[in-house]
Amino acid sequence: MTPILEVRDIHTFIGQFHILEGVSATVHTGGITVLLGRNGAGKTTTLRSIMGLTPPTRGSILLDGTPIHGKQAHTIAQMGVGYVPEHRAIFRSLTVLENLRLAERKKGDFAHQADFIFELFPDLKRLIELPGGNLSGGQQQMLAVARALVPENRLLLIDEPSEGLAPVIIEQLIAAIQRLSGQVSVLLVEQNFRVASKLGQNYVIIDSGHSALDGRMADLVKDQALIQRYLGVA
Amino acid sequence: MRSQRTSLIAIFVILIFLLGVALINSNSLGDFGITLLSGLFQGMLLFLVAAGMSIVFGLMDVLNMAQGSYFMVGAYVAFDVQHTGGLIDLTNIIPDPNFRFVVAVLAAVLVGAAFGYVLERFLLRSLYSRPIFQLVLTFGVSLVALELVKFIWTTTPYSWTELFGVRESFFELFGQRFSTYRLFVVGMGIALIVAIGLLLQRSRIGIIIRAGVEDREMVQALGIHVRSVFTLVFTLGCAIAAFGGAVAAPFLGASTTLGSGFLLQAIAVVVLGGMGSYAGTAVGSVLVGLAIAVAQDTAIGTSFAALPSITPMLLLVLVLLVRPSGLFGNSR
Amino acid sequence: MIQKQNSPIQRGWLRRNALPLLLFAFLVLFPFIVGAITDSSPYGVVRGDRMIMRGESVRWQSVLIEAYILIILAMSYNLLFGFTGVISFGHALFFGTSGYVLGLMLEYTAIDTTLALFVGAALGIVLCGVLALVIGFVTLRLKGVYFAIFTLAVAEMFYIFFSRWQLTRAEDGFAITELPAWLDPSQSRINFYYLSLAAVILTFVFIRRLVNSPSGAVFKAIRENEDRAQSMGYNTLNYKLLSIMFAGMLAGVAGLLQVILNKKVGPELLGVSYTVDPLLMTIIGGIGTFTGPVIGAGGLHFLDVFLRDAQINLGGVVIDIANIWALLLGVIFILAVIVFPFGIVGTWQRWQARRHRHPEKPLPDAAAGQD
Repeated sequence: MTPILEVRDIHTFIGQFHILEGVSATVHTGGITVLLGRNGAGKTTTLRSIMGLTPPTRGSILLDGTPIHGKQAHTIAQMGVGYVPEHRAIFRSLTVLENLRLAERKKGDFAHQADFIFELFPDLKRLIELPGGNLSGGQQQMLAVARALVPENRLLLIDEPSEGLAPVIIEQLIAAIQRLSGQVSVLLVEQNFRVASKLGQNYVIIDSGHSALDGRMADLVKDQALIQRYLGVA
Repeated sequence: MRSQRTSLIAIFVILIFLLGVALINSNSLGDFGITLLSGLFQGMLLFLVAAGMSIVFGLMDVLNMAQGSYFMVGAYVAFDVQHTGGLIDLTNIIPDPNFRFVVAVLAAVLVGAAFGYVLERFLLRSLYSRPIFQLVLTFGVSLVALELVKFIWTTTPYSWTELFGVRESFFELFGQRFSTYRLFVVGMGIALIVAIGLLLQRSRIGIIIRAGVEDREMVQALGIHVRSVFTLVFTLGCAIAAFGGAVAAPFLGASTTLGSGFLLQAIAVVVLGGMGSYAGTAVGSVLVGLAIAVAQDTAIGTSFAALPSITPMLLLVLVLLVRPSGLFGNSR
Repeated sequence: MIQKQNSPIQRGWLRRNALPLLLFAFLVLFPFIVGAITDSSPYGVVRGDRMIMRGESVRWQSVLIEAYILIILAMSYNLLFGFTGVISFGHALFFGTSGYVLGLMLEYTAIDTTLALFVGAALGIVLCGVLALVIGFVTLRLKGVYFAIFTLAVAEMFYIFFSRWQLTRAEDGFAITELPAWLDPSQSRINFYYLSLAAVILTFVFIRRLVNSPSGAVFKAIRENEDRAQSMGYNTLNYKLLSIMFAGMLAGVAGLLQVILNKKVGPELLGVSYTVDPLLMTIIGGIGTFTGPVIGAGGLHFLDVFLRDAQINLGGVVIDIANIWALLLGVIFILAVIVFPFGIVGTWQRWQARRHRHPEKPLPDAAAGQD
């Protein structure tokens, strides 16, 4: 079976800086693959490169076997890739409903998904008319994830969902991401190794712009030496 | 929320001040009414130039220095279509001057939209990676527009001679004659403010624009082609400015100074209101329009005839000194 | 010892700078060369106890002086825009302000003419510096566009103010009648010619030294990426203020020369064309290069002079170049911004750099594969 996403040896520059110097990663259809690495290793840039926001200059990216590298971000999104950026990039001046509506790719997308979204994040239903900027950090993160669920996506790219959130909220989010991964494949960037190991079935490690290692999460968890070496956590 | 209250207080104070000065200057309630109406008229024209400028700046980070030129071109096109002679002479085909005026305004809007489209699609678009040059480019376009107008219509200003119904009629109030046409333009301006406001608040394209003002990249990542929204918004902004020039032409005539004059006034509006804020632009237009009308009144009979022309610049300088983010905006 | 060590270096310096030195010699001798060719006196014609400025040599001197003034203006613009990345839409503000200050000193004060000249010039330049600092201080902390807007607004305000101010005779402006005879371009133009030439060369050398100094390195860092310059520990605001202050003062120098050359002060000095011209000349010549503004300003000025009386024939319709000169410039401007962003000098430098890099890289395989 073709994997949902195949990244092959991509190189990405930001300005004059060579950020990605050969990153490869495979996301298998169904379930969650976690992208791991130290700060500044290039995890966010990898997601942005896949999304077409910082296009790679070399290498290839295949979505379900179709090349998407070199395409513009909106085209890639339309092909079924949802993006949940770091720092909860929701639109603060738009209401929760407008945030969700904006993500529609065809009329009725939101109505179709509303039940599932509110089942995952019951809070949002209550807040539907509030401006995004008035939401708490956790609620904003839920909105950002919910927004990616509005259109029919094949793959979600989620960047650091747990960053800066209280433990109770993180548990809620873990549960929600676990549930939605039953419907859509996920590539997740997560610094918090506890969260990452709980969610991911597979992992890819990048180290200063290169992909270093990949495999099954179950194997990584057992190998303290590897974790120490690449992630600096015990 | 606190900053919103301070801006409301600021608006209130400026308004009271302007109305107070207007009241002191006027001899009768009729005089006061005239000042008010001419301020509102000026304010609505300013809004028509500033609206596109502000939204375009918020969405695309481009300050269109050619926005005033679209106003000027609109005035010339409307003048040309309405009157005998010139490039387009419709006096024989459409003898009714009222109907011809409608056609003249439509022609101005079309020309404005066409030039706006060309500027965004073929010139600005190649420069999105070099923002400083976009500013320089729009500045250059304003020069070319001015020179083109001079080349086609010469530098002699035209004043409107064609009579048509609304233009000539007036009504009396408090012993003063008020021009119906000005009132009509003010009404139309208010209708447009509301219409554009509703478009921004309610429609999908409006939601996209407001989202784009906040974070273009994320809008793109949601599968929306932001560039085509840019083109649409830019074209619309230029068309609205040309519309403003066309409806102003029966009063202001057509002259080569319209472009730079309205550009600076519109910049004052946009900075006063807060760059990229639609509500700010609407409020700012009224305030700057009133300020100019009051300054005109004040300057009558004094040796300082330059006051009304300097007023928008004075306001701009003051706002930048006191509160560069404007009434409703963010300056960084 | 020192002599022996120095001489080879000096010889190398001479060879490296042969072209500028030749040009310098040519410009110094220019009044006499034109005089010899056209058989006219570089000093003008004696009429009684006065000199009359008639003849080809003095005429060409004033054409060159005009070019020098525009070159100084363009160089000052380039310091700001090209080297620091700060864009101004009101450069005429400085040009006109110093002009008005000098004019007011000469015509409206009772002090001795020579003293008034020096005080006026100094005061004008200082005022330009102060004005630039104030404007910079207010706007440079904001987005770049605010500086552009603010300079535009202040320039327009000054323009309107001076075109209505009765004391300076409003739109008509006033003539300069009192100038020391040794400087007066209508009596001893050649002196003024050499003064202007000196001003151009000093400005050129000054800007070069400034930009090549450590401060200049920060200017360029700001132009490339201000946030990064800030994060390297530089107070970028101070450096931007420094750049705009010098740019304002140098534009003021150009304004002084303009007023002396035309012996007239009027609001046109503050008009938009003295903002547009340096911008255009800098872009066409090559922004962020030392010689770009010189070539841009000199070239455009000579084109203007030569084409002023020319006509083109478009299918029977004869159009005077003078009527469409501004339109042509505008179109060239837009084209330059879009397709020729490095200007003449910038493009040439890039081309040179590419040509020189090739022989250094002996990559026979790659070269064979490429061509």
